[in-house]
Amino acid sequence: MTFLQVAVRAIAALALGAAAAAFVGSDAVLSLLAQATIYALFASGVGLLLRQNGSASFGHALFFGGAGYGVAALLKLQAMPAELAILATLAAMTLLAFLVGLVIVRVPGIAFGMVTLAMGQMAFLSTSRARGFLGGADGLSVEWPATVFGMAQSDLFRPATLFMLSWATLVVVLAALALLLASRFGSVTEAVRDNEERARFIGIATLVPRAAIYALSALVSGTGGVLAALNTGFVSPESLHWSLSGMTLMMVIVGGFKTLWGPALGAVVYFLFKDVLGDYATHWMSIFGVVLIAVIVFAPTGLAGLLQRLVRRRAPLAASAAAALEVRDARA
Amino acid sequence: MSLINLFNGLVYGSLLIVMCSGLALIYGLRRVVNFAHGALYMLGAYLGYSVALHSNFWVALVAVPAIMALLGALLDRYGFRLLQNREPLTVVLVTFGLLLVIEDFVQTVWGKANLSLAAPAMLDFSIDLLGTSLPVYRIGVVVAGLAVAAGLTLWLRLSSVGLAVRAASTDPTTTAMQGVNTDTLSALVVGVGTALAGLAGVVAAPFLSLSPSMSSDVLIDSFVVVVVGGLGSLGGAFVAAMALGLVQAFGAVYLPDTSVLLPFLLMLAILVWKPAGLAGSRT
Repeated sequence: MTFLQVAVRAIAALALGAAAAAFVGSDAVLSLLAQATIYALFASGVGLLLRQNGSASFGHALFFGGAGYGVAALLKLQAMPAELAILATLAAMTLLAFLVGLVIVRVPGIAFGMVTLAMGQMAFLSTSRARGFLGGADGLSVEWPATVFGMAQSDLFRPATLFMLSWATLVVVLAALALLLASRFGSVTEAVRDNEERARFIGIATLVPRAAIYALSALVSGTGGVLAALNTGFVSPESLHWSLSGMTLMMVIVGGFKTLWGPALGAVVYFLFKDVLGDYATHWMSIFGVVLIAVIVFAPTGLAGLLQRLVRRRAPLAASAAAALEVRDARA
Repeated sequence: MSLINLFNGLVYGSLLIVMCSGLALIYGLRRVVNFAHGALYMLGAYLGYSVALHSNFWVALVAVPAIMALLGALLDRYGFRLLQNREPLTVVLVTFGLLLVIEDFVQTVWGKANLSLAAPAMLDFSIDLLGTSLPVYRIGVVVAGLAVAAGLTLWLRLSSVGLAVRAASTDPTTTAMQGVNTDTLSALVVGVGTALAGLAGVVAAPFLSLSPSMSSDVLIDSFVVVVVGGLGSLGGAFVAAMALGLVQAFGAVYLPDTSVLLPFLLMLAILVWKPAGLAGSRT
């Protein structure tokens, strides 16, 4: 996709979000939408890894919760202003993810997923036992200062503002990813994903791009984690638990990971479902387990795939024209 | 002081041997990493608790693996066999969904409170060995682990079914061409694998309490063992299981704050040196 195409879609999405923030009256709905958007960001990170590296991470909550804890810890220490704390946490986490990625992306096949599960759960266990500074199982409240990025707390913590902030972040992140993956970097990672040996034969160094994608997916999920800390003002070990990672992976599968926006769609659907399920929520684990199995067996491309096929069937002329334009752009 | 740590390490390592041989067998034959293995272990433990409540521990020790074997055969027939031509990630996610369903089932039937099962009266005492008092039940666990390791190795090496299993793990198509019914064989092996998970659960119940989190706790450790040992390698799993058991036991005493991180650090260290695990992996 060209820069112009991405920019147009991004602006349209932002306008849609602004309209929603302005016209949806109910604070509860806006809060739900903000939460859904934050998880959409989290899921996009997981989906990015799955799409570009072909590896499923069962422990990405490590980055989601880790970013929240990082910001909370820095604010508690009052080591630096909030804006710097956010940037420092995300930068440090991305760097750490890259270094760890250099080791673990070499692990073949599903063993990679097992490693990520172990990593995530160990973070959960050590955090829930660290009773001193990090609050242990009770969690830690995030001490946001009076103004963050120039906005007063009273303005920032309104549901409409939080939703708009999360939505804008999601749109910007997805747009940036779309542009990045349309570049040579995206093609390189896709080549490595499809056939690593062949990629090496044509001269591509395969380790660094894969580790970079892992770090990038950590950054995206971590951004969601920071927003979550902003949204609730609180971090707890639950944000590191494997069930959160698993739930997010489920959102990615249900939404469809072949597209960039599929995981975000999956997150929104999940939140709508959870709201609707209500009474049956005590058995949500079974229900989601069954849904996951059904989707993965009968509709592997997820909802995004189904929607794409629907569009292709309804408007074949328009779709083939769009496809032809894409080929022309790719050749240019 | 160290003898009791060494012993506890051996006990947990033996439990992991029983768990991980099941995982390794299922992977070897079906190329599936069974994410539901921890949930099956938990189901075995809770089933054992209920059976032992109505009769005794020894009945549970025999009945639960049998029930789990049947479950495993069904899982293979209606799960793994139907999905065998899909991408590996697909089946893994199906087992993940199964994990969620089994965990919810266990919590619904038995509740979320911690339960405990007493060791059988025959083994509920301690003996003095080299100055430390060791519970005999735990010695029994070590014996069980070694018996499973020895039994599996002998079965695979010496019996004709074992030969067929080894052949099918290496090359399913050629083995099928030689006249081995690989589908029945897979059902058998997956059944044995899930039975081992159930056995581990029953054996663990008296000395580890039954709780809703027992599934993920043991799954993490099992995964570390299998990844470090090399996917599909039984020998690698045995070595890694003992190593992990010892690391955790000594870590819990000498480094209590960071003991949780030790398995992960061990895993990272081994992976830096050998990405496919100690024994290498079969893709």
